[in-house]
Amino acid sequence: MKEIAIDVPVEPPKELESLFLPIPKEYVEEVYRNDEFLILVGPQHPGSGHMRLIVRVKGDVIQEVIPDPGYVHRAIEKIAETRLYVQNIPLVERPAIMDSANLNLGYVRAIEDGMDLEVPERAKYLRTILAELCRIGTHLYDAAILSVFLGHTTGFMYPFGIRELICESLVKMTGARFTSSFIIPGGVRRDVSKEILDWIYSATFAIEKRLRSFERLFIKNPTVVARLKDVGVLSKKEAIEFGVVGPFLRASGVEYDVRKVEPYEAYDKVDWDIVVADDGDSYSRFLVRVNEVAQSLKIIRQCIAEIPGGKVISDQICEGNDIRGEFFEKLAGIVLPAGEFTTLTEAARGSVIYTIVSDGESNVPYRLRVVTPGWLYLRGFMESLKGERLADLQAIYGSFGYFPPEADR
Amino acid sequence: MIEVLIDLIRYFLSILKSNQLDIPLIKPIIALIMKIVAQIPIPYLSNLVDLILAVILWRPLFAVVVMPGLTVLMIYLLYIVWFERKLTARIQWRVGPLEVYRPLRGAIQALADGIRYLFQEAIVHKDAHRPYFVQLPILAFIPVLLPIAFIPAGNVVGIKSPYAVQLTIAFISLIPITVIAIGWASNSRFAFIGSVREALMYVAYEIPFIVAAISMIFLYKSGDPYIIVENQWIPGAILNPLAFLVFLIAMLMATSRLPFEIPEADQEIAFGPFVEYSGILFGLVMVLAYEKLYVMALLFTILFLGGWNGIYISLLGDLNAPIWLTIKTIVVISIIAMVRSMYARYRIDQAIRIGFSWLLAFSMVALAIGVVIGYEGGI
Repeated sequence: MKEIAIDVPVEPPKELESLFLPIPKEYVEEVYRNDEFLILVGPQHPGSGHMRLIVRVKGDVIQEVIPDPGYVHRAIEKIAETRLYVQNIPLVERPAIMDSANLNLGYVRAIEDGMDLEVPERAKYLRTILAELCRIGTHLYDAAILSVFLGHTTGFMYPFGIRELICESLVKMTGARFTSSFIIPGGVRRDVSKEILDWIYSATFAIEKRLRSFERLFIKNPTVVARLKDVGVLSKKEAIEFGVVGPFLRASGVEYDVRKVEPYEAYDKVDWDIVVADDGDSYSRFLVRVNEVAQSLKIIRQCIAEIPGGKVISDQICEGNDIRGEFFEKLAGIVLPAGEFTTLTEAARGSVIYTIVSDGESNVPYRLRVVTPGWLYLRGFMESLKGERLADLQAIYGSFGYFPPEADR
Repeated sequence: MIEVLIDLIRYFLSILKSNQLDIPLIKPIIALIMKIVAQIPIPYLSNLVDLILAVILWRPLFAVVVMPGLTVLMIYLLYIVWFERKLTARIQWRVGPLEVYRPLRGAIQALADGIRYLFQEAIVHKDAHRPYFVQLPILAFIPVLLPIAFIPAGNVVGIKSPYAVQLTIAFISLIPITVIAIGWASNSRFAFIGSVREALMYVAYEIPFIVAAISMIFLYKSGDPYIIVENQWIPGAILNPLAFLVFLIAMLMATSRLPFEIPEADQEIAFGPFVEYSGILFGLVMVLAYEKLYVMALLFTILFLGGWNGIYISLLGDLNAPIWLTIKTIVVISIIAMVRSMYARYRIDQAIRIGFSWLLAFSMVALAIGVVIGYEGGI
């Protein structure tokens, strides 16, 4: 088709200079010289979350997207340097409150790594149950956000309705709907009774039943498939190159899951499969997470069925089985030996890395490094947007479940 | 002087009286009112009441103002907003509007919202084309409301025309122009994108929509609603199911309902052409799509569902036809409201592909069916 062009000089809009965009002035001029223009999506846009996307479009086709994150940066790494090791536990689970147990687990494991703590078997099982419950909750939350980005309000309400069961399970186990800070160095805060575990066991079936109606209404809906299929494709090679993590890496056909590669807690004792898809498009990214929910339910059921008895807190920390009443006494004085302790944990949205650098004498970390999955797959997210239509931006955003508070930390 | 006036009024009254609605049900009520009024010692009061009643029951005015015209339209607007929200809520494991008058289960929520719009400040932002920005929501009502004058319900009709169906389609086709103009007058990026999307959607559904309607005109060999309804001893939906389907989908596209809620996509372009409106102006543009839906559903009922055909209740007399037409229309709209909670939004290129591929093909087949049945003189 012949392109008809009129040579009219286009001035870049003035507002692009006053908004402190992280792009040079020459870039803006080049964009407008090439008959393209910049669209700023966010941070107040209904479909952007707490971040700004600088979208360079030619007509309706996205040429490049430059992210401008940091609107919800809370300096968690810096704050952690001023607090006791044990006081950091509630802090590190704040980036992604739905996924609190996984983030909590990674940090606590780094401390245990440094102190050479042996965690009792029962505590490991309880931690696994908590982590998987939070994983399901996060995946449901992301599915809800994806549906509302596609304009499917029923698909928004269903997962939130189902997530209530997760929250109720967490309430029964830990006393809080999320951010329970239940996992502490050496074990968990307190034992969970058999009745509660049985309740969670039956709740998994209730979740499964409700997920089937969600599947009928949203996952297999032809309009949803039409919107997500072959959109935002990341090939296997690209996904590895751009450092995509978690379910989004597995959706591109890479069989990598920290829970299988370096099993922690009870993951090597239960039977489950890594969910992998080959297409690498938005739909497979969504489907991988849907199937991971099924795997998580399977893990929870096995954990509850096979949970051993015994203590829930390490002998090195506390003689009794209940740390209540002597929590501060036992844990406030933790000092890690000098060195660097790193753990890799599979959170719901991907690998989360915790590195504690200790000087060996102070009771606060010298440096805490947190790398959350959101930050790791941001590059892959931006690359997958190239060549898609502007209306697909929200579909791809939702398929990645990008959560700015988690990425910005 | 007063005698001339009274003569003039008498003259009008005679015109009105010659074309009155015949409703046996309200005859005793009118008689009772006249009897009560006659006892009140105010001069000319009984004549005045007589005039008012005659005006209300004058057929053309009744069709346009009461039923199936503006009054029913207002009640329908209150009902459909509530019904849509309540139905969506029920599907989504929620309660929906409830607190605005609990005994009616929140049924007057839309009225409360309307009052809120009325008292809110209608902001006209600096960059807007002020005269157009303020005028267009009101001007947009001309093509939306004019078809009501031409759509008959039995012998209750505003303007009798043998080309009523064609006229209605012509007016419906004018509505997107006002929406596009609204987006242009808003002078905002999202409104602009919304306008362009509206224009593209217009391109996508317009041809199949008109072809489907024309196929029905061929089928009945007339665009006169009376002939169309008279011929429908089998509903048009069974005679030409493809035209029925195409018309239904075109209706979803034209009123930007999910899965074709593309011009107004909240998450993408934040209510599209209407993004800059607030206060009563927003209230006006918001009901525009609902009114368009009402007019299209009226046309749909006449073309495919046998119009005002129904069980004749002799007590209602002339009111039978408008009541049946209204009931059928509102049932159609209520069914359409259900689609909202079931589908996600298509992308604009997918919607246009649907419009230009199988929707157009189906409408062409429907046209062939219409021509064949019409030519054979089967009905």
